[in-house]
Order: sequence, then C-alpha cells, then structure tokens
Amino acid sequence: MSLEMTMSQPQSRETRGFPDYELPRLVRLTDNLHGTAFFLMKLLPARHMLDRAAADGRLKPGGTICETTSGTFGLALAMLAAVRGYKLILVSDPAIDEHLHKRLLELGATLEIVEKPYEIGGFQTARLDRLRATLEVNPGSFCPSQYGNADNPRAYAEVAEQIAERLGHVDCLVGTVGSGGSMSGIARFLRHLNPDLHVIGVDTPNSVVFGQPDGKRLLRGLGNSLVPPNVDHRQFDEIHWVGAAEAFLATRRLHQHHALYQGGTSGAAYLVADWWARTHPDRKVVTLFPDEGHRYVASIYNDDWLAALPGWTGVLPEAPQLVAHPSDVRPSWSSYRWDRRTLDKVLAEGTSFARDLAEAA
Amino acid sequence: MPGDVISRFASVRLGTRGNQRKENGFGQVNGHHGEILQGVFPDDAGRLHRGLVTLPCNIVSSTAVFRPAPGNLVTVPDDKLKAAEAARLTLDSLGLHDQGGHLTVESTIPVGLGMGSSTADVVAAIRAVADAHGAALGADEVARLAVRAETASDSIMHGDLAVLFTQREGIVLEHLGPALPPLEVLSVNTAPGALVDTVKQPPADYDEWEVQAFRPLRGMLRRAIRTGDTALLGRVATASARISQRHLPKPAFEEINGIAASAGALGIQVAHSGTVVGLLFDPRNPATARHVAEAAARLDTIGLPPARHFRTDAVEVRHVA
Ligand SMILES: Cc1ncc(COP(=O)(O)O)c(C=O)c1O
Repeated sequence: MSLEMTMSQPQSRETRGFPDYELPRLVRLTDNLHGTAFFLMKLLPARHMLDRAAADGRLKPGGTICETTSGTFGLALAMLAAVRGYKLILVSDPAIDEHLHKRLLELGATLEIVEKPYEIGGFQTARLDRLRATLEVNPGSFCPSQYGNADNPRAYAEVAEQIAERLGHVDCLVGTVGSGGSMSGIARFLRHLNPDLHVIGVDTPNSVVFGQPDGKRLLRGLGNSLVPPNVDHRQFDEIHWVGAAEAFLATRRLHQHHALYQGGTSGAAYLVADWWARTHPDRKVVTLFPDEGHRYVASIYNDDWLAALPGWTGVLPEAPQLVAHPSDVRPSWSSYRWDRRTLDKVLAEGTSFARDLAEAA
Repeated sequence: MPGDVISRFASVRLGTRGNQRKENGFGQVNGHHGEILQGVFPDDAGRLHRGLVTLPCNIVSSTAVFRPAPGNLVTVPDDKLKAAEAARLTLDSLGLHDQGGHLTVESTIPVGLGMGSSTADVVAAIRAVADAHGAALGADEVARLAVRAETASDSIMHGDLAVLFTQREGIVLEHLGPALPPLEVLSVNTAPGALVDTVKQPPADYDEWEVQAFRPLRGMLRRAIRTGDTALLGRVATASARISQRHLPKPAFEEINGIAASAGALGIQVAHSGTVVGLLFDPRNPATARHVAEAAARLDTIGLPPARHFRTDAVEVRHVA
C-alpha cells in the first residue's frame, strides 16, 4: 500500500482496542537496569497486524481470522476479535493450557485441536497443515502469520518510542526471542538512534532459532522448532541460552527482589539482563518482560512443581558459560558472541568438532 | 473553509479596534536551517500527517512592507509570486476583496538551499498586509494562509517555539516546548549552485518501516527538549537525516557525517527539502570552539568549506577561519 493510501486510512484509535494495555510499565530495578513490564506484549503486534490488514482489505469487517498458536498471541487475537466483531479460529494441540483454553472459548474463539503429531515434523507441521485446510474452507479469511508478517516487528515502534522518551539513551537491550518480532523490531528502531546499541537475544537449549538442534523444551514462549523469518539475526551482538529451571528460578527472584509478578520468559530475560548490568555498571540496560505471572500460578509459582523438575537444584548460576559455537551449548545457561552475523554465516563456521579437525589438519 | 473563519475573526478585530489602516504595514520573519526531524506522525486519533520540526536560523530573515491602495496589487520584485499570492489571500481573508496595494519584499535568506526563503517571504508579506490593516493574526492563522499560498510551508511563523508542524496543513500537531535546547551549527551547502525547488519536489514516499521509525525519533525529541539534552537532539537529527538520505540524498553525506563524528559534533541535521547540512555542537561544551575549527578545516579539505556558523539562540554571525 502506498504512503498516500496509508495516510488516508483511519488508524487504530478510531477502532476499538486496548491502547493502555499495549504498552509496558517501566520499572527501575537497579541503578542501571530498567524493566519494561507488559500486561500482554502480544496485544501490540496483534492489534497492529489487524489494523494493517483491515486498512488494505485483507481483513473485512466481521471477517474471519485463522491462526495457529497455543500461547499469548492467541489470547491477544481473541481479545481483539471479541471487541472488534471478528470470527476467530485458532489451531492448537492438546498441550494447550486448560485455563487458557476456557478463556479463549469465553472470548468467542473457535479452537481446533490437532489430536496427533506427525511422525515427521511433530505437532508443529500437523498444526500448519490443519491451518492450511482451515484457511481453504474459510475463503477470504485472514491469517496474521506472526512468524513472517513484517507488521509484527514494525508494531514495536511504539515500545521504542516509549523507551526513547522515558529513558533517553540506552546502551543495551535484552529480551527473549520467539517469533523474533519484539527483539528484532525494537533493536532495529533503537539502533537507528544509536548504532552502538548492544543487543542480547535470549533463547533456550533445543531451539533452532540461533543454531541449536531441535528438541523438547519445557520453557515456552521463547525459542522455536523452526527459524521464523521475523528473526533478524544481524541485530544481535550476543545470544544466551537459558534452561527452564534457571528461567523459572529467576522469575521467582524477579518477584522476590523486585515485586514484579511476571511469566517465565521475563525471568529468562531478567537473569541475563541483571548479569550484564552488574558486569557493566556504567551502562544503561533495558529489558523486556512480556507477560504477567497469573497464568503460571500452578507451575512457576508452585514450589512443589519446581522441585519435581528434572535437573532442579534451586541454585542460580552467577554467570553464563561462554561457548565457542552454538553447537557447544549445554543444557544450562550459555552465551555466545553472535556479532550481528546471519544464521548461515554462524552455522558455516561449523561445529567445534569440525573446527578441531580443521585445527588438527 | 479556514479562510472564512479567519475573515470573521479579522473583521471582528478590525471592528473592535477601529479602522486602524496605516500608511505602511510591516512584516518580518527569520529563516531556518532545515529540520531536526521531518517525516510522518500520528495525531491523537492515530491518523498520519506529514510533519517537521524546524531548526531556527535567526541570522537571516525576510522583511516586507505593504502600502494599501485601491485596485491592483503590485509586488516588488515581481518574481516573488508566492508572496504576492499570500498578500492577495490575506486581503481577501480580511474581506478586502477590492483592496490592493504595493508590496515590497526583501530577504537575506539564500534561495534554494532549504532555509525557508519562500515561506519567509510569504509570512513577511502576510504580516505586512495584516499590520497595514491593524489586524493581529495569530501564528496559526498565518500558517493556514501560508499553506494556501504555497502548498507546503515551514513553521517559522511560530518563531523559536518548538512545534511539530504539519507543513501541508499548517497546523501544530504537538507543542514540544518553548524552544529547542541551544545549538551551535556549522552550515555546509552540499550542492553549491544547484537549486532545489522545495515546493515542486514530490513529497517523500516513506516505506512502512520508515513510517513507524519516526515514532521513536519523536519520543527521543520530546525528552531532548524537556531535559535540554543536546546529545539526544543530535541523535534524533542524525537519524532523521539518514532517512532523508533515501529520499533526497545529499552529496558527500557519509563524509560529512564522518567528520562530524570524529570532530566531536553531537550529530548532523539536514534540510529535508534543500541542500544544506548542519553539523551540531553543544554551546555549553568548552571544547566546542576547538571542535568547530577542526570540523571546518576538515570540511575544507573535502571541498565543502562551511558557509555559516551560528548559534540557534543568538543572532550574531561568526566567520569561520
Ligand atoms: C510470554 C512470551 N514471551 C516472549 C515471547 C517472545 O516474543 P517474540 O515472539 O516477539 O519474539 C512470546 C512470544 O510468543 C511470549 O508469548
């Protein structure tokens, strides 16, 4: 759509939504560490993607939205669909949280639960196939595709605006990476004002986003079994992989020490941001806390549940283990100098085994 | 119609103040040095507008004298067509459709560099006509007349006020503060001899990322003005200049930016519809005099000797050695 057309479109505040719920509250945690605590971060990209689609006709008034998600993006879509009068079909799997499931139904969403994983590709591929079929039987429906839709990262200009206005110059940005929208979006906007901004992405072991082999992951919301096009790898200076137990323990620390009741990805971001802020006391750090803790009462905020986790020690590491290549990442907190490279470039440097061979030769 | 509103306003004023027609009306306005920020910005309802924040340059100005007379409107020099149009619109808006007169416009603002020469002539003319008829037009009324006369206007009718101004509508989208924090500016004309017609240029066709990227620039600008932080102001100006570079590229942009960075400047700013680039320095920094001299010497070596050196809060001209 041309700029002139964009400018003549009515914008979001003329339609219903939750503008005061979209932006985070800023909390100063230490002298040089600032947290941005969201109610539900995904409201912002969901609203922006729907606005843009409504503006250029991809989404008609009263139309149907189809998406595959079992997390906070689905909740954000359901809230917006409820107040804007869209029909919403969400494709998910049996792992969906029971309370979230009820809440989505109450908001008027239709849930299609894929019962069986594929032998190759698991639930992810099975869900994508079901989504494709759902889109076919609902012609004219709109799929936001948060992993590839460029309106997802672009939505975060409003967070960058808030950070720039409230904090001014920032030296370091730390946040978790799932679709890549929030971190790639905010990093690129802030870097336009500060080319030296140090950007740290937080992933989890067994996520392929920054070059780990795919595997089972307990920590949800960050990491992925595929590499979303919305991850702009060249924005990242440093990558950290945080395991589930450490992330949950850090989530509790965030509550105990700073009275912020947030979800598990907030804990993962806090662990890394707090370490960087302590080791760089003269630099201003800002980090993202994407959702609140209420959905995790029975898990992260339940001591018995935590104690039963595999590998639970109840102790937080002081610092990450610096690794020479993503393939060297261990199950617990590791870090790597990404140096704003593409994923292909990093992977081309090969595994440590390949490097050892090369060195020996 | 905004014109009708103004004419109703003005006739009330003429009525209450009596017919204060003078022999000669006088109007003056200072020029500018391009913009700190220019792009598209949402209003409170989320609708996008083209807008800008001007960098004042009070060492250059336009002056107009208007002598009312019945009949034709004569303008000297006769190629100041937009000023003549603005004078006509002002007379009409005052309800003086049969009235004409003699308009003289003089300016020290160089033409075609993006320093507001056209808007300054227009604003000086509007003020002179209004003054001649005892009508005190507010800045918003002047802005609307100016936009009608020349399609797109700079915000110089607002003086040193820091405003986010919609150059094609003539309205203030946001009042940012009483003034920008003071800056010391080293001015370079990147294309001597090449005139840019600031009005004939098509408006920049920003892509969807750029449309969003103006938001954090606006956020940082608010803070820069509120806290008097010139370093932030330099960052905003440089970021806006970078976007402008995709739409109206300045020759030697990277070289100038490199010189600014290594000579201790806060950043650079550009005329988004012109040819001048300003290297921005902090007047409160004791090292600024040395930094400016160093930058000037290095600009000289790339064939772009700075043409001016001024402070945004002062009127005296300093000569670069
Ligand atoms: C709770 C939570 N945290 C973090 C993220 C990661 O954000 P992004 O998708 O912008 O990379 C998500 C994404 O779904 C999330 O649900």
